[in-house]
Amino acid sequence: MNIEVSGLRVNYGDVRAVDDMTFSLDGGKIYGLLGRNGSGKTTLMSVLAGFRRESGGTVRVGGRPVFENSEVTREICLIRDAGETIDIDKVEDALYFAEWLRPRWDAAYAGELLDRFALRRNMKVKEMSKGQRSALGVVVGLAGRSPLTMFDESYLGMDAPSRYAFYDALLADFMEHPRTIILSTHLIEEYSSLFEEVVIIDRGRLVLHEESQTLLSRGTSVTGTAGQVEAFTAGLTVLGAKRLGPTASVMVYGDLDEAMRRKAREAGLELGPIAMQDLFIHLTEASGDAAPAAPAADASANPSGDAR
Amino acid sequence: MRFPSRLLAAQIYFAAILWAAFYAVTTLITICIAIFGTLDRSVWEGATQVPRWFALFVGVALIREFLPLYIAHGQTRRQFGAQAAVTVALYAPALSALLAVGYLLETLLYDVAGWTQELARPHLFASPTQVPLVFAEYLVEFLAWIVAGTFMGAAFYRWQGGGLLSIPFGIGLVVLGEAAVGAELRLPFIQMPLGVASSPAVATTLATGAGCFLLGLAMTWAIIRDVPLRNRLT
Repeated sequence: MNIEVSGLRVNYGDVRAVDDMTFSLDGGKIYGLLGRNGSGKTTLMSVLAGFRRESGGTVRVGGRPVFENSEVTREICLIRDAGETIDIDKVEDALYFAEWLRPRWDAAYAGELLDRFALRRNMKVKEMSKGQRSALGVVVGLAGRSPLTMFDESYLGMDAPSRYAFYDALLADFMEHPRTIILSTHLIEEYSSLFEEVVIIDRGRLVLHEESQTLLSRGTSVTGTAGQVEAFTAGLTVLGAKRLGPTASVMVYGDLDEAMRRKAREAGLELGPIAMQDLFIHLTEASGDAAPAAPAADASANPSGDAR
Repeated sequence: MRFPSRLLAAQIYFAAILWAAFYAVTTLITICIAIFGTLDRSVWEGATQVPRWFALFVGVALIREFLPLYIAHGQTRRQFGAQAAVTVALYAPALSALLAVGYLLETLLYDVAGWTQELARPHLFASPTQVPLVFAEYLVEFLAWIVAGTFMGAAFYRWQGGGLLSIPFGIGLVVLGEAAVGAELRLPFIQMPLGVASSPAVATTLATGAGCFLLGLAMTWAIIRDVPLRNRLT
């Protein structure tokens, strides 16, 4: 299901949690929704799922408005830390209602996932650990097979093996049953390989929306002798630097054109990719003077930062 | 509208288990009173004060647990409201039937043991064996207490501490239900003989009970019709 958000505003009393947000997402992809604490991720997804009404602007999923529109909301699943879908007596009770209320529920797949996450049907949800509750949320979210499925920090409390089991299950099920999936996370490096496109928001505003590879191409690590590195990166936006003896490694933000790359090679410098997390930190740094979401030429073509 | 079979079944299943345990405890107390004291009245009658509070709790739980569950599973507030209304409309008679059965079992026990099953409070019924009247009285009470629970539960869910303001209106719904059966209002620290009518006509009772039910639903709907799901339950 595709998503169109135009001029979205969400207010909590005097606080504006989402401010004039506009973007569109095609269906059938895995999106990463990244943002710092309080950036508006949960609020945005809550509006997309019809959990709350927008204060202004429009939200359309599958071309139709969402709030109180059962034709649309029944095809949407948002799994949040609040645990609305699982906060009931036992695991089997949560599945009992999910099966009844979810039109595309796959009970056999839910059973497989329970085994994978070592959950038992007779477990009391309120007595489960945080990680087990998160895993149950993942079971409900994946087995619901909703055309728009969103996970809001669904890894909380899960140990590393469980998180990787989640990633594997998600990817395998997405390949078998393609749908639109949005993952909100702070574990950017763990998740980043799943993302086809990335949406970054900060302080309620859209910072960037583009393909993961395009985003990653905006950052480059420059490694070589300290003097050469310093000379090469002079005038560039430097995200961070490390030095080990005579060798320095500097992360720079912004596209390096072919001439620059040739210059680096001639200087004996090694160019490499940098982590999405480093780019995210740079794009959402608290100073408020973060680099533009896209290089100047792109930004002028599309001020919202929306690649579309 | 889809029939709320699973919501209703879950509620009735839970109520039946509790009823069985509650009846066993009440019977044990009855036997203890008979052995160690003087048993000259229905113990079940006094025990039926408790299920009204349970009904209030069920109303609260419908909003606090099942409203978020429904919306998170892609149902609309309107769909939930309709299913909850049907659930309450069928659940209250089920609870009432369980209480009527409790009276009948107690009558059987008292008859076998040769005890006297006097009623201590004013009722629509003069004897616990007047099953239709027993059923009608508790039906009206349960409808009132459940919708009072849904209303106050909705207010607390939406406004948290501000939900305190809903309590007088919730009590009003309960008083209306109790007045419909001409019974006493027994709340903690409050025992108020309503005396609206010493023995109101059954039709009047049922009509007032239905009105109370619809009023409570309308008051609840006014709160939940666009309620946002809270990000965190505290």
